[in-house]
Amino acid sequence: MKKGKMTMTITIGIACFALVTVMMMQFKVVNETDITEIENMQEAELKTELANWKTRYEEIDAQYEETTQRIEEYKSDEVSNNEASQLVREELEQTNTLLGLTDVHGEGIVITLKSGEGITAISADDLLIIVNALKFAGAEAISINDERIVNTTDIVDILDGSFIKVNGQRILEPYVIKVIGNQSHMESSVTGNGGKVEELQTLGHTITIEKDNDITIGKYNGKIETKYIE
Amino acid sequence: MTNKKVISIILGIMCFALTLGICVQVKTIKNTNSTISQNQEANELRDEILRYKERYDNRFKELEEAEKELEKEREEATKNNSELEQAQQTITKGNKITGMTEVTGPGVIITLTDGKGISTSTLNPSQLIVHDLDVLSVVNELINAGAEAISINEQRWVLTTAISCRGNTIDINGERIGAPFVIKAIGLPEYLAGLERVGGYLEYMKEDGVGVNLEKSNSITIPKYSGVIKFQYLQNVEE
Repeated sequence: MKKGKMTMTITIGIACFALVTVMMMQFKVVNETDITEIENMQEAELKTELANWKTRYEEIDAQYEETTQRIEEYKSDEVSNNEASQLVREELEQTNTLLGLTDVHGEGIVITLKSGEGITAISADDLLIIVNALKFAGAEAISINDERIVNTTDIVDILDGSFIKVNGQRILEPYVIKVIGNQSHMESSVTGNGGKVEELQTLGHTITIEKDNDITIGKYNGKIETKYIE
Repeated sequence: MTNKKVISIILGIMCFALTLGICVQVKTIKNTNSTISQNQEANELRDEILRYKERYDNRFKELEEAEKELEKEREEATKNNSELEQAQQTITKGNKITGMTEVTGPGVIITLTDGKGISTSTLNPSQLIVHDLDVLSVVNELINAGAEAISINEQRWVLTTAISCRGNTIDINGERIGAPFVIKAIGLPEYLAGLERVGGYLEYMKEDGVGVNLEKSNSITIPKYSGVIKFQYLQNVEE
């Protein structure tokens, strides 16, 4: 009887030990399973990253093809003044478009903003954030109250926010932002949860968004001068 | 006799628990195997990304060379015609302004290092996390101070450049960059250094614990735009 009890106790002891060991192992594996989830997330991100680099390569490659083709055209047209001038004109037009020195048109949206009464007025930062969001969504041309947004455009509050200057020009309410680009991308970049327009609306400002299939945006009116870049 | 019964039941329960534990473990190990295969897939993706990056880098260098050659050819083709020569000069200058070519000149280098960031009530953190707005504001102030060319961690500020947050990093020109942010600007150094004024954005950031350093320099190089601007929706109005 005594011997049997002892055997039992030892057996139970061993079983307990085994059980604890298995549990410990399991605990460790569960910890590793958490890492697996991060790995999965990374994989989705990696896919996005790959698509991004594919696109960037393709864009640069197309640009390279275009440039080499242009070189060839210049080379073969060396004698003909007419054709050379045609080539230069094309390039000049591209440059001017990038500089914002041409009137442009295309599909897009028009955002009209008016400050609510009795609350802090819409600020230069608000407009800056909207412009940034539109650019991120692929905007191709933007103007605020007909001031064309170029790469050297600043949007600043003057006199502690009594008015806003864009390109050094004073603009007054209502602020009318015209943007050319994919209409639904443009709209969703500023509306929806977390969008700046939605945020301003919640604060009590009046904002309307209209889609327009042919918006015309005027050229930059200022002078583009450089003194320091070489 | 009852004693033996109790012990048998206890043993039975223990065996059951043990089996259960082993079963769970076996299942988890199966999952772990799939993790390894997923790792392989991820590694393949990483390899492919690197391959595309390399192809991009090589093509980009070739493009830079080709553009220099194009400039020479254009000069050559226009040198006998004063009208065309003027157009050629406008293109060359325009490419510098729009960020299509590398530029040098005097200016400032502003370095922003991670601090605790800002958290004013006027900002909606879910829309724009502190850092992208910080950089955006500094760029805006630099332009206001007359900056003619700007780069952020060697990413040229161009017409279509937007700054967007992506977790702990920010996204500029499709490239992911993290702190410290090195913002280079070409312009009159004295004006650009005015960003350090009392009440300016840099001071505001300093007060919030962000590391801010501004250095004047006589020769700053700002690289050409790393991408291509192509218009899909926009057309020039015919004159």
